[in-house]
Formats: sequence, C-alpha cells, structure tokens
Amino acid sequence: MKWALAVLLVACSSSGDGTYDFASSKGAALYQDQCQVCHGETGEGGLGPALRDSKRSQGDLTTIIAMRMPANNPGQCTGDCASELADFIKHGLTTKALRCDAVPPGPRRLRLLTRREYRATIHDLFGMPALMCARATDCGFRDTCTSGACEATPCDAQTFVYDPHGQTLHSVHVAGDFNHWPMTIAAGGLPLTYDASTGLWSGTFAIGEGAHLYKLVLDETTWIADPRAPAQQSDGYGGQNSVLTLSCTGATTNDVAANFPVETRNASFPFDTDSAAALVTSAHVDAYLDAAQAIAAKATCGDCVAELGEKLFRRPLTDDEKQQYTALGGKTALAAMLMSPSFLYRSELGAPDGHGHYQLTPYEVATALSYTFLGTTPGDDLLAAAAHGELADAKGIEMWARMLIADPRARAQVGEFAAQWTGAINVTTADKRADLYPDFNAATRQSLLAETRAFAADVVFDGDGTYASLLTANYTVLDPVAAKFYGLPPGHAMYDGTRAGILSHASVLASMAHSDQTSPVKRGLLVRRNFLCEDLPPPPPQGGNLPAVDPNATTRERFSQHSSAPLCHSCHEYIDGVGFGFEHFDPVGRWRDTENGKPVDASGNIEDIERLGTDTQGSFQSVPELASAIATSQAGPACFVRQYLRFSRGQRETLADRCARGWVQAKWAGDVRELMVQSVLSPDFLERR
Amino acid sequence: MISRRRLLQLGGAAAISAPLARYLRANPSPTLAKRLIIFYFPDGIAGVSQTGQPSLWTPADSLAPLAPYLSQCILFKGLSMGPTDSGSHPGGAKKLLTATDGGNGISIDQRLASTIGHADPFPLLYLGAQANANNASGDMHISYVQPGFTTPPEDDPVAAFNRVFGGMGSTTSGSGGDGGGSAKLSILDRSREELQALEAKLGTVEKAKLDLHLEAVREVEMRIQALGGGGAPATCGQPAIDATGIDAATLYAPEMFPKILRAQTDLMVQAMACGMTRVGVIQAAHHTSDLIMSRFMGTDLYEQGFDMRSHQASHYGAAHDLSHHEYADYVKQVRWWVEQYAYLLSQLAARPEDGGTMLDHSLVLLCTEICDGNTHLHDDMPFVLAGGGGGAIHTGRTMDVGYRRHGDLFVAIANALGDGMTSFGDASSGPLAL
Repeated sequence: MKWALAVLLVACSSSGDGTYDFASSKGAALYQDQCQVCHGETGEGGLGPALRDSKRSQGDLTTIIAMRMPANNPGQCTGDCASELADFIKHGLTTKALRCDAVPPGPRRLRLLTRREYRATIHDLFGMPALMCARATDCGFRDTCTSGACEATPCDAQTFVYDPHGQTLHSVHVAGDFNHWPMTIAAGGLPLTYDASTGLWSGTFAIGEGAHLYKLVLDETTWIADPRAPAQQSDGYGGQNSVLTLSCTGATTNDVAANFPVETRNASFPFDTDSAAALVTSAHVDAYLDAAQAIAAKATCGDCVAELGEKLFRRPLTDDEKQQYTALGGKTALAAMLMSPSFLYRSELGAPDGHGHYQLTPYEVATALSYTFLGTTPGDDLLAAAAHGELADAKGIEMWARMLIADPRARAQVGEFAAQWTGAINVTTADKRADLYPDFNAATRQSLLAETRAFAADVVFDGDGTYASLLTANYTVLDPVAAKFYGLPPGHAMYDGTRAGILSHASVLASMAHSDQTSPVKRGLLVRRNFLCEDLPPPPPQGGNLPAVDPNATTRERFSQHSSAPLCHSCHEYIDGVGFGFEHFDPVGRWRDTENGKPVDASGNIEDIERLGTDTQGSFQSVPELASAIATSQAGPACFVRQYLRFSRGQRETLADRCARGWVQAKWAGDVRELMVQSVLSPDFLERR
Repeated sequence: MISRRRLLQLGGAAAISAPLARYLRANPSPTLAKRLIIFYFPDGIAGVSQTGQPSLWTPADSLAPLAPYLSQCILFKGLSMGPTDSGSHPGGAKKLLTATDGGNGISIDQRLASTIGHADPFPLLYLGAQANANNASGDMHISYVQPGFTTPPEDDPVAAFNRVFGGMGSTTSGSGGDGGGSAKLSILDRSREELQALEAKLGTVEKAKLDLHLEAVREVEMRIQALGGGGAPATCGQPAIDATGIDAATLYAPEMFPKILRAQTDLMVQAMACGMTRVGVIQAAHHTSDLIMSRFMGTDLYEQGFDMRSHQASHYGAAHDLSHHEYADYVKQVRWWVEQYAYLLSQLAARPEDGGTMLDHSLVLLCTEICDGNTHLHDDMPFVLAGGGGGAIHTGRTMDVGYRRHGDLFVAIANALGDGMTSFGDASSGPLAL
C-alpha cells in the first residue's frame, strides 16, 4: 500500500497538547476497518486485549501488528500499514486524546437524494405520483396508504376504501364474483375496517389476477358501486357493478424513480442513506434525465423558474441562476433545474462563520430538518422560517424540530427507520416455498411490513414513546391481512406472552430465515449487528462446512456442529446461541411447537451482551426475555442511538464524531422523539469544518 | 400468471444512425483485443478437498461445457489474490476486480472504461442477474467506481435494453428529428456548468464525488451528440432480447434466474456487436448467495420440493463425496455457471467479425471471489480467460503462474486491449505473459 503521504498526515495530526485529529488520520481508518472488532472502538479491549494508553513502544507495536495481527490470519497489515496503526495506537488511543471537552464541527457534505427522498420531493412539489398520504383516499386507486406513504398494492390484491362522508355505518363489506356476492360478512363478505382518525373504511384483500366485478355493501343492506373505481358496468338490474382488473404481468408503475440505481448499503450500515457511498454514475444521469423530462412534461407551471425555482433548490436562486434558467425557457428550464446539483444534493456545506469554521445556512437547516424528520423537501412554511432567520441558532432549530416531529408525516419516517433498522424491508422479497407457506403471498408480505412501520409509529407517537417499548411492547398493530396471518384481531392486538416488540414481527423473522428453514445464524447476527452494534470478525481461512440437511433433525441439532468444532465455535458461540432462542418461529415467523415432529427447544443464550469479550451474559427462554435483556442492557440503547444517527445523518460513525455521539447519548433518557430532537441539537449539526 | 412472449426490439431496422460510426474506431493494431467481458459467478468451486482429493476444476469435469472453446481459452494455476481477508467471501469480492486489499482501489472494468472505453456510448456496461436481491449492495457488488465504493449493476434486462438501445430507437421516432436530443443537451450543459462552478467553489470538499458526477454528465452528453443518424456495423443486426415473463414481480424469482441471465448475456453481446460498449461486466447473483438453484426448471439442478441455495451447496463437506447432497449439487451448480459462460462464448463465436468471429477479437474472463467453497481461500483462483484477443494472447493452454497476483493478469488484459498500464492494484509486478 502507498501510505507515504499518510505518514506525513499523521505526523501532523498528533500535536503536543494531547489532541489528535481523528478525522484525517489514516491509522484511525485502518483501526476501524481491521482492529476495532476485537480491540474495541476506543481500544478498551474485548475479544482482544485493551490497547488504550499502551505502554509498549511504537516500534514494538509495529512489529506485533506486522507479525501477529489479526490473530486468526496474521500478515495482513505489514510495513506502512503496521506503522500507521502503531502511531495511531500510541497517539490516538490515549485517555487524553479521547477526552471530549467539546463537540468538534461536523463534515461539510453533499448528500444525494435517495430514491425515497426523490419520490417524496416530486410528489410534494408536483402532486404527481402519490407517495405521502394522511388517509387512504390520498392515494391512487391501486395504491395503499401505509403509515403515511402510498405504496403500490400487490398486483393480485386491491385496497378498497369507502368514504362515508360522516355517515355512521355499522359495517361495509366487499362482495363480488371473487367471493360469490355474499349478502353478509358472515357469508364471506370482505369486511372493511373503520379508522376514526381518518373517517374512512378500508381493507386490502388478495382477490387474484383477472377481471372482477364487485360492489360495496353498507350495513349489509345497501349495495352500491365503488365510487373510487375507475370503471363501472351495468349490473342488469338498473345499477352499476364496479370493474377491477388485476394483472401481475407487465405491472405498470407511476414511480418516477423506478429506474434509478439502488442505493449502496455497505456492510454494517443497514440504511439507504449512506452519503459517502451515494455516487452518481452515468446510469444515474440517464435515469435522472428521463425522470426530469417526464416530470417537466406533466408539470403545469407557467414561469417555471419563478414558480418552482426556490422550492426545487430549497433556497432562493441567485440572479445569475434566474437568468440562466429563464433563458432555457419553460419545460426545459424545469427539467434542467431537476438535473441541477442544487436539486439532486442536499447541501450541508454551510457558510464561513468568521471563526475558521462553517455554519449551515438557515435554508440548509430547513432542508436537513425536513428530510430528517419527514423524509421530504421543506414546505413553504419552513422555507419562510429560513428566510426570516428563525433557523440560525439552536433555539430556532429546536422549535422547528419539535413542530416537524409533531407533523403526521413524521410517522412514516419513523416507520421507515424501523423497517430498515430491523431488516424488515426484505420481507417483500425474501424467498419462501409457496407450497409450504401458501398464504405468505405478496399481499401478506406488504401487510407484515406495514405492521412493523405502523407499530413503530404507534409506540413512538401514540404509546409511551420509548426505545424499550419498541423491543418489549406486548402488542402490535395489524391490518386485516396481517391479523389473519397471525390469527390475531385486527387493529391493536395484544400478545399472549409468546411475542414482544419488533423482534417478534414476522417481517423481521421471515427476512432472517431461509425459504424452507429458519436460520439461527441470520437471526443471531441481526441481534448482534443491528441491535447491539457488534460486528464479528470474518471467518478464518479453512472456514468449514455448513450443517448438512438431515430431514429428521431439528435446525438446532444441525447447527450444534458449529459449537462442537473449535474453529467455528470461536465466533458462532456469539451468534447461534442468540439465534436458537427464536426457534419457536418458523421460516415465515409463525409460532411452532414442533419441528419435524420433535418439540422445539428455544432456550437461548446471549454471551457478552455488552460487548464481545466482556464476560457479560445471560440465558433466556423466549424472545420476550431476549428483548427485555437487550432493552435493559447498556449496549442496546447505545446501539439504538448509533443506528438512528446512521440513518438520519447518513454516515458511518468514526472516532471523529464520537464526542457528538456522546453528547446525544448523554442528553437522552430513552424517549425516541427526544433522541430525534437531540440529534439536530448536537453542536456538530450546525457547525461544520 | 399469464405467460406472454415479449420480444424487446428496436422500432425499425434503420434505427442506428451514422454518427455512431465515429465510435467504431478502426482497430488500431491487428494484435489488440477489441473488447473485454467479465463474467462473475458466486461462491467459488470445489477445489482441492480437505481430505486431499484434487480439484474438479478440469476440462474433464467442471469445465466440460467449455470443450468446444478450449483451444481459445487460457486456464490458470497458482493465480493468487493475496493473503488479506483470505477466508472471507466479502474480502474476496473486494479484491476481485480491484486487486487491492479491502477494495481500496478502482476496479479494472472502471479503469478500462476510462481508457479504452472512454469514447464509447457506454464506456462500461455493468449488468446483473439478481445481484441486488434482498437489498444486496455495497460489498456484494464487484465494480468499484471509487476506492472503497461500489456501484450497483442494472438487474433488469428490460430497463437495461431500453437504456442501451433506446437512444438509437428514438432517432426514428420523428420527435423533431433528434429524439429530443437538443433539449437533453442544453439540460446537461447547464448541469455540467453548475457542477463545475460548485467544484471550483468547494476546492477539495466532496471533490471526488463531484468529479464522478461531472464525468457521468459528460459521458451522457457525448453519447447523445454521437447518436444522431445512419449506419451500424455489420455485426449489429437488429438488437432484440427475449424478456418473456420478466417484470417487476418476477425479477427476483429464483425460477426466472436462468432466463434473466440469458437476457442480460444476449444484451451484452449485442451491445458489443453494435459498438455501444467494449467493456462489460455480467454479475450473476452475489457472494454468499441465497439463490435457490434447485428451482431452475429444465436443468439437472432442478429438484421439486427441495431448496438448495448457492452458498449452502458451496459448503459441501470435508470430502468430495457425491453421496453428500450439498456436494452433488455444488458440482452441478458450478458446471451450470460454466455452461452459462460457454453460452456467452458461443454467442460471440456466432457473429462474424473482420474475417473471423467476435470471439476471436474478444477477451472474456470467468471469475468468482473465492477458490474453494469450504476453505474460502484466495489462492489458486479458478479464473478462465477466453477469446482470441485479436491475436494478442496465446490460448489453448493451462498457465502456471506460480502464485503471482491476479492484478498482473489484469495488467496483461489491459495491455492486450491497448491500455499501456504497467501495474494494477497493490501488489502487481507487471503483466503476465499471456
């Protein structure tokens, strides 16, 4: 490796007063990549010995690293790599250098809009493809409003919505050719449920592909055509049947970002927000250009620059910009603004603060707050607040942060965070054997994902609001499809003690399982990585063999091989013992008492819950006990802070921002909304370098 | 589900237009290769077993589907990716195309895109088959656009086809004669100017990010300027892929995988034949893949009611024991991957070019991120290089490279393509003598 330049950098980064420039230290980056998993983030030790305030000489450290590290596969970091690391250990991993007297400024950055943010922004500015919604009727006929976001209903299902316009009804059900036109719900009518907060009746049902005729039945007496259906035809009795055609072939989409490349999620970063990894290639430019021209073609602006310029750039245009765009004219100007870096990137560059640093401008603050809490572009009120200078200090930021978090749209953003944090988003694609799990279809998967989103929003905004309840709540929130899947009532459904919190959601359990078997490894790793923020060292060479598929053995019996082979045991003791505790939940997350005719043994053990190598451990007998152990540990809540900051700030934490993390952590007592507020009050949010 | 044959093709035979010819440089030397295709498959092969049985990576076993092309292949012995992270799938995937520890360098495809490919409509075409499955990303991908950062492949053959050939088709659509090209150009021009101004203002802050964005805008601008009207090369024909049954709902269904990979392979060959690109990567799935290969109907992998995943089979047991379900399936899986690679070669071989075939003028690399599925080691990498390379390489042999790094193979490949690099990656000692 070519570290010659880096040696110079490090030489400059350690000054005589004990401060150390973690942000530009190559050794710190190497340590984070290769050493911290065993020696701890700040050299506090773990699987490997502590390195803080090392008494060894830099030369000795260099030799040890080059000859013996990493312990399970030495010889990977020699020469300059070893001396860089030794320098960092001697000068960076010291009590003095690691002290947090002040929170240093954050990085100046450009954050590319994610596909989610792009879609929401276009929807808000042009009202085009529906995305954010307060109630089901805000979405298109084929879309479902899930925790504030419109999502395409699965191709073989339909979300039926009826607005009684205030009329009090006892029941609404759907009757059609797919269920033989039942007069009553008892006879097989598909019941819509009433949501008092929106005043709407709605329900999602998988009725299968093909052309269907149906009606809505009010109070099991009045048969009407569905006012929202795009087509009706005569019922032969003087009335109208509604026509609905479902097809899973060539499903069309009105998703403006359908062809955008996926976001890059690097290992240990489960979110789509990684700013450093969001790089624009020609595939992006092609997709952005197509989207920009399509949006411009449909938009209805006259003087597009004057009407939309400030909204698109989230700041006033300069005179030069106004002139340049106006010269392009009409729709071309609009498309060009949509291709501008001022639109595509959220600017966190700031302006010089007169003290050698930078401070985010009020418009940048407005932008950051809006995307952080609502997942979309700032509204007119927020931009006006920026113009009036309300966002120039912590007081204004706090006031607006609290207002935005109280906005109904914040629910969807919290739901999104929960879905990504827990890996629940993969439930829509995780392969399952259709012959073994016939009801685990597209509609069920969507409803299970909606459960995780709705539950998180419910805990945070309607419940006690705490992180602990996300893990331990004895209820969940189900739509009729999800309720049927679990055999629980729709709405707020109470658990019987077998489940608790988000770790027992089928969306999570199914995502972390194979198509026809559970995976104690995937489930154990989820707890380690996503809930305790513990990464594990990579497997050693000569890694070994996966357990064979013995149709008569239980999953637990097959995986016990991991703990009998010493090479495997060194890591799998931390993984499988956790994963075994989930064995009562089958590959789609439903409860089971037996596997292959044998009773399930779901006793688990979580070794070193606080950090690998700390000898802190506990056995548990159920997922609720595991969830409770995580919630009451130190590592669990600290990891939650870390994960929220990763999601909201879009960056993997480093030693350079450890003081900011500490600041947020110290201000936080477990309430999720309070964590959201504190995340933007930390001094490094406003001040940049 | 209604099965409907969907053949994607261009609107008219005369769709490809004259300025395209500007891209089709006369081959600067008869002994240079015209193009490179990298074909990746996941999870290694059955190498030498822990009980000492030899590798099946031989022309008689796993490589049997290559029989018609062995005279145009180089097989390698002793090719090493170095010791760092050996034992790990992600560690191997990071080094695979970067030849740099931890993926801390750009990959060979990206490098060649910027040298030999820079004037092409698509300097690099990176296609995937279920490579983004279940939000797989980051170190699951192999093309490093910047040190430490991958870019995702396009998994949807329909979208990829439209991107590659849509610009050509639009020339006959009659919308102002240039397919809206002039409006696109003024939009991109504005975007480029703003990026440049921003970069000038920021100095080193986010410079790498803005440089990449600028390069991407320039690439699209150049392509639109070039694709104006008139004559395609004889190898081109009328581009078409069979996308029957491939849509958003089936794009990640394991049973559709063979069909998707076939469509992407056909697209790659045609994009090359039509002069749209000369550097291509096909990423089939990703490392540690959960791809259920026992759902591939009509293949010997198919087993009703039993799911065998790629990564599961790759941990086949200590011995080469065909009575072991994982091992028996792994052997079949690896052979299936080689068959798909052989299909790619067959399509290149079927198209005449300059008195020979496209295969005679191409380099086609078969690679995976680890050697053996059990040991995960990064030595004895099971790579195959096929194609005549325009006469730049000597094929029909097994080359024992004595544990030289695979970066040296990339140097030799780059040299054969006309990129005069002398080293690549962090442990290169000059080109292998191909």
